[in-house]
Amino acid sequence: MTSTRESQTKTALSAFLFSALVAASANAQGLVAVKGGSVHTMHGAVIENATVLIENGRISKIGPVAEIEVPWEAKVLDATGKVVLPTYILAHSQGGVRGANERMENVAFVKIADALDPSSPFFEDCLRSGVGTVHAIPGNQTLLGGAGIVVRPFGRTVEDMAVSTQSGLKLSLQAQGGGRLLQIRKLRRALDDAREYLADFDRRKAEFEKEQKALAIDKDKKWTEEWDRTKKPILDLLQKKTRGWLYVPGSAEVPEAMRLQDELDLVLVLGPQVHRAIDALKACKHPVVLDETLEFFETDPETREETKIRLAKLIHDAGIPFALSLGQGGPTSYPWWQLAACVRQGIDAKTAYAALTTVPAQLLSMQDQIGTLEVGKLGNLQITTGDPMQATTWVETVVLEGEVVYERSRDQRLKYLLEASTTGTSASGSK
Amino acid sequence: MLRRALPFVVLALSAVAQDAPVVYRGAQLWPGDGAPIADAVLVIQNGRVQNVGGKSTTIPDGARIVECAGAVITPGLIDAAWAGPVPVADANEQSTEITPSLHVLDNLDPQHPAFARVRNTGVTTVHLMPGTRSVMGGLSAVLQTWASDPTSMVLRDEATLRLVLGAEPSMGNRAIRGGSVDSIYYRRPTTRMGVIWSARRAFFDAKEQIAETQGGQKTTRTAQEQRDLSVLARVLQGTLPLVTTARSEQDLRTALRLAAEFGYTPVIDEAQDAYMVVDELQKSRVVVMVAAPSANAVGGPAGQDGAEPRYSTLKKLQDAGVPFVITTGTNQNAVDLVREAMFAHRFGLTREQALAAVTTQPAALLAIQDRKGRLAAGMDADFVVWSTDPFDPASTPTTVVIRGTDTTQKP
Repeated sequence: MTSTRESQTKTALSAFLFSALVAASANAQGLVAVKGGSVHTMHGAVIENATVLIENGRISKIGPVAEIEVPWEAKVLDATGKVVLPTYILAHSQGGVRGANERMENVAFVKIADALDPSSPFFEDCLRSGVGTVHAIPGNQTLLGGAGIVVRPFGRTVEDMAVSTQSGLKLSLQAQGGGRLLQIRKLRRALDDAREYLADFDRRKAEFEKEQKALAIDKDKKWTEEWDRTKKPILDLLQKKTRGWLYVPGSAEVPEAMRLQDELDLVLVLGPQVHRAIDALKACKHPVVLDETLEFFETDPETREETKIRLAKLIHDAGIPFALSLGQGGPTSYPWWQLAACVRQGIDAKTAYAALTTVPAQLLSMQDQIGTLEVGKLGNLQITTGDPMQATTWVETVVLEGEVVYERSRDQRLKYLLEASTTGTSASGSK
Repeated sequence: MLRRALPFVVLALSAVAQDAPVVYRGAQLWPGDGAPIADAVLVIQNGRVQNVGGKSTTIPDGARIVECAGAVITPGLIDAAWAGPVPVADANEQSTEITPSLHVLDNLDPQHPAFARVRNTGVTTVHLMPGTRSVMGGLSAVLQTWASDPTSMVLRDEATLRLVLGAEPSMGNRAIRGGSVDSIYYRRPTTRMGVIWSARRAFFDAKEQIAETQGGQKTTRTAQEQRDLSVLARVLQGTLPLVTTARSEQDLRTALRLAAEFGYTPVIDEAQDAYMVVDELQKSRVVVMVAAPSANAVGGPAGQDGAEPRYSTLKKLQDAGVPFVITTGTNQNAVDLVREAMFAHRFGLTREQALAAVTTQPAALLAIQDRKGRLAAGMDADFVVWSTDPFDPASTPTTVVIRGTDTTQKP
């Protein structure tokens, strides 16, 4: 009987995708005007009653309704009484991935793109929550885990979805079977091996050129040895051509992470238990990525007294810019919940919004493309029914590069959850 | 131990001296029933509410005044199915499946930090039930999350009896086929139908005992058996509520069928699939405790019951006039009770309805409505001062008062 449920889910999914696709194709490449909303650009002040004009996928004009002329052929999205803001960006995610960790540890050559499942409900949920850019990258149960990919959560194939494949390489200090020290040693060893290989390669090449100069080798002969493909991503990392995303599970791993940061271009992806190493983290060269768990209790082993650790606040108070992560289900998977958690901890709303917009854009080196609503940037925006941090607010419309990719009125699955009929077929069919 | 100490509670209370009144002034106050009061005045004295009203309410002489402008005051929240952490509440007696005369209180560690944790989320009263791995695990208790001494935490012992339907009570059980026979897993039932048969057989025995007692016959049962059956007899006679934990549609229907067969009115617990049986629930006049409305899936072992939660459940119950209570329940993904109520609001309940489902409704269900759940003269002074609208996810409880004592200063 499970198959019935699966097929129902699939039908619902394909119905959703189909309706969304139809909506998208109608205005592709055209002009879109989002009119009348309260526009939170994430760059300067909120513009009330404003128009955002998107032309060929990019924002061409933003300003008060009265000042912006909307061309007659534009598709107009009425945002009167609503809030318009950039779509959110996830700096580090394993959502929509089947098998985020290769069992072998040193697999810098694999690509998460090969594990991405475009039909995963995760991407649907992204649009439903206003997420427009996802950095999918291998998980934390690895050593050198492979390359990430930046995607938009819309499309039928990975190629459709891809935004950038140059996002970087995953590294992890999470102990795999052995202890913490073994993990550090393995990582150091892998990096040293690659360094040796690089030196050896350069030496052989120099010798070849030297011999050629001395006419010991035919003048027309070319140096043909190619880089070892399994090592190339690590070489790029060593030469700082690729950014590394280093998972730091706890406070104890922070010192080693800071040392590695001196040698490599690293973004630190923090586990929840890093609160005892906040001072050391102040020297981070990039903003950090926070764990989805933003607050937790620590029990004193002697007194059994519990202390609530508010991680986002501690990081913020230390002056460290941060990006937020989303959980894989439950309330932490909702951006509004995570943003409100920051505000609840005492962080200003602007910083909270930055953690899902401008900061992750910067970490992905895409700050000139996404993260704010500014002329020249991609036309990625969401329209919400109200204050984006309130529980009663819903995402109405998502526009990616000028395409309407999500409309709540057409969201079949949401309708299913909110309006399930009391005598629905699934009642008898799925049991 | 706690139960034996109960009579002393009364003594301890009467020993409280006359305190000076305390006035919480300027907040928006949600009394629990009825419209919110702007710029409210809440007068408390000797652990009770003396007066509640608007701006013009008389402030008694000598009162200490706490300014609460900009804040929101609600009654202390009541979690009618608080799972707590393992040492407090995961009371699953595994020696046998039917243990109606066990008391969850005997499992209680009143000093457990979970009480401080839940209190700091605005929950002032909890209903603690045995775990969900037995068919009938035992008798529950209603507790305050703070009291001047541990024994005074107990508001009601033997509040309800819990019956668990579905896959969970039989999960992991095995029939004896050689090997070490003293394993706790060698026990029955091993299927859903076995679970229901266990419950049914217990009720048959209880009916028999009632008949024996009424007929003046001499019983052949042991004292322990008689004690167990006397608990079940109270269910059949309508003096002890039977909380029936049922998640999936089939278990919900079974819960109602079993109740009709033996003629009692159950309280339905967890009830993720309630949206499929709204009419039946309404006809049976049951109260439904819905666990974790935030969740769109049931995690953990309970996930195997096959329930499929929907966001629409509470709205449907509301529209059909089925009384309901919001709890955190056994779902491990449940968030703070106030946030669960917030999700209910997100999914269609009004603020008043969502708040009632964690205050007045559970108070009535647990038969403590004359003391808890509302803010009115004569009620216990259990309330929460929130930094802002409690339905704003960024709000926090700044002060939690239980029986007139500001527990945020005495963690």
